[in-house]
Amino acid sequence: MFALILPAFLVVAALLVGPMVLLARISLNQYSPTQLMIEATTAQNYLNAVSDPYYRGVMGTTLLMAFACTALTLALGFPAAYRLARMESRWKSLVTVMTLIPLLVGNVVRAAGWLGLLGNDGFINASLRGLGLISQPLQLIYTPGAVAVGTIAVVLPYMILTLSSVIESIPRAVEEAAANLGASALTVFRRVVWPLALPGTVAGCVLVFILCMNTYATAVLLGGSQFKMMAPAVYDQFSRGMNWPFGAALAFILLAATLLLTVLGTALLGRRYAR
Amino acid sequence: MSVASLSSAATAPAAAGPGLSVRLGRLAVSAALVLAYAIVFAPIVMVIVTSFFDQEIVTFPPEGLTWRWYLNAWAQRDFARGFLTSLQIALAATAIGVPLGTAAALALVRGNIPGRGIISTFLLAPLAVPAIVAGSALYMFYLRAEDWLDLDIKATLGGLVAANVLITIPWTVRLVTASLSGLDRAAEEAAANLGARPLTVFRRITLPMLRPGIVAAALFSFVASFENLELNLLLVGPGRTTLPVAMLSYLEFRMDPTLAAVATAQILMVTILMLVTDRFVKLSRIV
Repeated sequence: MFALILPAFLVVAALLVGPMVLLARISLNQYSPTQLMIEATTAQNYLNAVSDPYYRGVMGTTLLMAFACTALTLALGFPAAYRLARMESRWKSLVTVMTLIPLLVGNVVRAAGWLGLLGNDGFINASLRGLGLISQPLQLIYTPGAVAVGTIAVVLPYMILTLSSVIESIPRAVEEAAANLGASALTVFRRVVWPLALPGTVAGCVLVFILCMNTYATAVLLGGSQFKMMAPAVYDQFSRGMNWPFGAALAFILLAATLLLTVLGTALLGRRYAR
Repeated sequence: MSVASLSSAATAPAAAGPGLSVRLGRLAVSAALVLAYAIVFAPIVMVIVTSFFDQEIVTFPPEGLTWRWYLNAWAQRDFARGFLTSLQIALAATAIGVPLGTAAALALVRGNIPGRGIISTFLLAPLAVPAIVAGSALYMFYLRAEDWLDLDIKATLGGLVAANVLITIPWTVRLVTASLSGLDRAAEEAAANLGARPLTVFRRITLPMLRPGIVAAALFSFVASFENLELNLLLVGPGRTTLPVAMLSYLEFRMDPTLAAVATAQILMVTILMLVTDRFVKLSRIV
């Protein structure tokens, strides 16, 4: 049986674990403008990243964006997932496929769509001008708001699919019993649906949070030149800055922050669930 | 029953259909559904619509409608070659990753393997590590390996396919595991009891039952690899670029109907693949 697992195991070990160890080692090296990299064992790259106000700002933007998008996605995704989970089966499979397609369409394609919608001559500005509501175009594109909307559109299908499969497993009878016993719709939600769906909510939020922390295409294309998130910052260090040790340190800071917050969030929400 | 719930039952309108709070709740839930799907689909619809605009710069309203951007897109070497490169990479990575992932998933679900949870987490790890981080690590790894082996790896087909197998293996493990866990073992046991050899049981019983899972895995693996941007971003090079990377570099300068045509072609491909797969496997039951 191990022989069946071994090939896949070796591929992941060789192409993920090995390179990650190498990247960790590189993050301890020293940058040299002339030689690119000098072998060393120093935490200087991490210290530089943490102490530099610019990168602190980038991290702050990333965290804020990830938290805000996760919260909004949950707020919008939960009712949508509930509705999907409680649909008749014929409609349900149609809507599920409809949810899967955008998930597979790719972030670059969707960013292109937002550029057409939010641009200065884009659909929204042109419509508002056509209606005589504005004379000057609103600055919609290249704003943090554009990145947030673009990101939410990317992660919503993940949230809806994760949540709806959990909500589906909650028997309708439980809700009906609560309602028959006099609970209002809000109480049924608060005391029955929400607690029972909490494991799915945690799973969905963790998944979405990770995706938001690592937003690349949406941030680059919709955020404009002043807007910077961590994933593009990592890329810049490798491609343009050629400062590999610093880029590696940034990559691990991003990874560590994501892991730490997801573990923390799961533990906190999980404890509430246990109680 | 508590007094509080009794009293709220008393205040609820009796026998007049659902109460106001219930109806408002349903309305809010339906509104959220509509809003959610509007946000998800708005950019996709937008891309499709602008690909038919008869002008170079996307402005509203359009001056006319045309098909010519599709021809123009194919005439642009970056897009045509990017498309073919992405196609090659995704096909090869699927052909390698699906058998490896299926074998592993089979052993994980049906074998009595100690540390099963850890192994499965390990095999799914490539999906959990941020693609840009994994891509940077692979980039460094490839450069180091090129030094040692005196061989081109970065921006070669082999290097890109290897990287994309990191996408196809975890997707396959995830989907095949999910489809296997729902299957009853009784049929296999019955066949074995009736004297079928293990290989026959596998070929005649297990494999046919696995087929939906494998089809879904192959589809997802292909599409996930085809549309991947971040993992490949640092691994491509001049002369060999994937379609998403080519689109990203184009979009950093302008958004026009040519790009929209390329994007629409991709949307069409994904949609057709999904609908075809859905005929074989009910996707709503697997994902």
